[in-house]
Amino acid sequence: MGEQRQRPRRRGQGELEALVLSALREADGPATAGWVQERLGGDLAYTTVITILTRLLAKGAVTRERAGRSFAWTCALDQAGLAARRMRKVLDSESDREAVLASFVTGLGPDDERLLRELLRPAGHDGED
Amino acid sequence: MGVFVFLPLVLPLTAWPIARLAEQHLHPRTATRLLTGVAAVMAACSTLCLALVMVVGTAQLPGNPLPDGWSDPEVRAAVPYDEVAGKAAIPALFAVLVVCGRTWWRHVRVRRRAHRALAGLRDTEVAVLPDGAPYAYALPGGGRRDRVVVTTGLLECLEPAERRALFAHERAHLSARHHRFLLAVRLAAQANPFLRPLRTAVSYTTERWADEDAAQTIGSRRTVARAIGKAALVSRAPAATPAGLAGLAAAGPVPRRVAALLGPAPAVRTWPSLFTAVGVAAWGAATGAVVSAMSSANSAVTMVLILHAATPL
Repeated sequence: MGEQRQRPRRRGQGELEALVLSALREADGPATAGWVQERLGGDLAYTTVITILTRLLAKGAVTRERAGRSFAWTCALDQAGLAARRMRKVLDSESDREAVLASFVTGLGPDDERLLRELLRPAGHDGED
Repeated sequence: MGVFVFLPLVLPLTAWPIARLAEQHLHPRTATRLLTGVAAVMAACSTLCLALVMVVGTAQLPGNPLPDGWSDPEVRAAVPYDEVAGKAAIPALFAVLVVCGRTWWRHVRVRRRAHRALAGLRDTEVAVLPDGAPYAYALPGGGRRDRVVVTTGLLECLEPAERRALFAHERAHLSARHHRFLLAVRLAAQANPFLRPLRTAVSYTTERWADEDAAQTIGSRRTVARAIGKAALVSRAPAATPAGLAGLAAAGPVPRRVAALLGPAPAVRTWPSLFTAVGVAAWGAATGAVVSAMSSANSAVTMVLILHAATPL
């Protein structure tokens, strides 16, 4: 959380979304965009906060309800959902992760899919084990 | 020391036959250890060789920090083509150090960031993430807990037995510390580009090793094969092969792994007989590594003696 004070550094979209989400999670119940902005130390412009919240709404990460003339926002993700989002961000941003993370399967080449289906066909028919 | 000083730079070529043959003829565990060992020795020797040649090259440059005696004709006579080789070695060694340093740093960073992303979840060995994208991988701990990360997107398309196969596969990666082999061959391939085929081979043999371990754990090779096949078909990410090569490439790693699992289990032999193609290849690579080590040790000792004699006390 200490990172959000480093104002001069330009932050990526994903990072801002993570900040807004974690702020919303700390709220007791629905919170307004103004509350979120204040919670983040006033670093972000009000319109930026609204933009991020709208983007998160489209992704299903937050919900909103009318509260008077504005909206009240709620985080729709639990800890696991937030972790999944963070992990996607790590994986998307690291181009050479394969030396660390031996993933279960790698991508398929152009002919691999057909080859794979042929190989698995007998295995699919007899349903043993 | 003559031309022997350059030998470690080209001796990695002796490991090419085994890098090709190991996949079909050796047990994946043997292949991984052999290829990684050979790659590490050869990379260290080739870097040492670059460093020795660089000393001669640097000593010739005006204003260098090395003692003047190090550019005496006797010292330079020890390295053939010292003018060209010495100067070429400076940027080469610099590039090796920069590229390897960056790889190391990225390795640490990916691990740290992945662990940080999981912070807040319960501290269990398996972290299940609610995400439609199907992926799974083993995240080595390094001071923290080793974790298997898997998404609901992948688990949903596997049957219970296949899920067990997936977990057994990832646990095998973690318990055999496969990330160390992978990092070692990656660094080696950057220290000497002739070692690249070994990196490709080891990234395949570690997967095969984990597949075989998983098959043994759950007691069915076919289930592991099916889990891999299904996971690959749902992921269906484009392969990381360069576009131009894709058409020419043989079957990719995933179909080869599945085919290997549908075939008989590999024999656990510690060392292949010399009288087979794979035996010759394995001994060839081992000999190459030994010669590489000997000639760089020889060059290093010679160089130290010459420089010691040339340094005015």
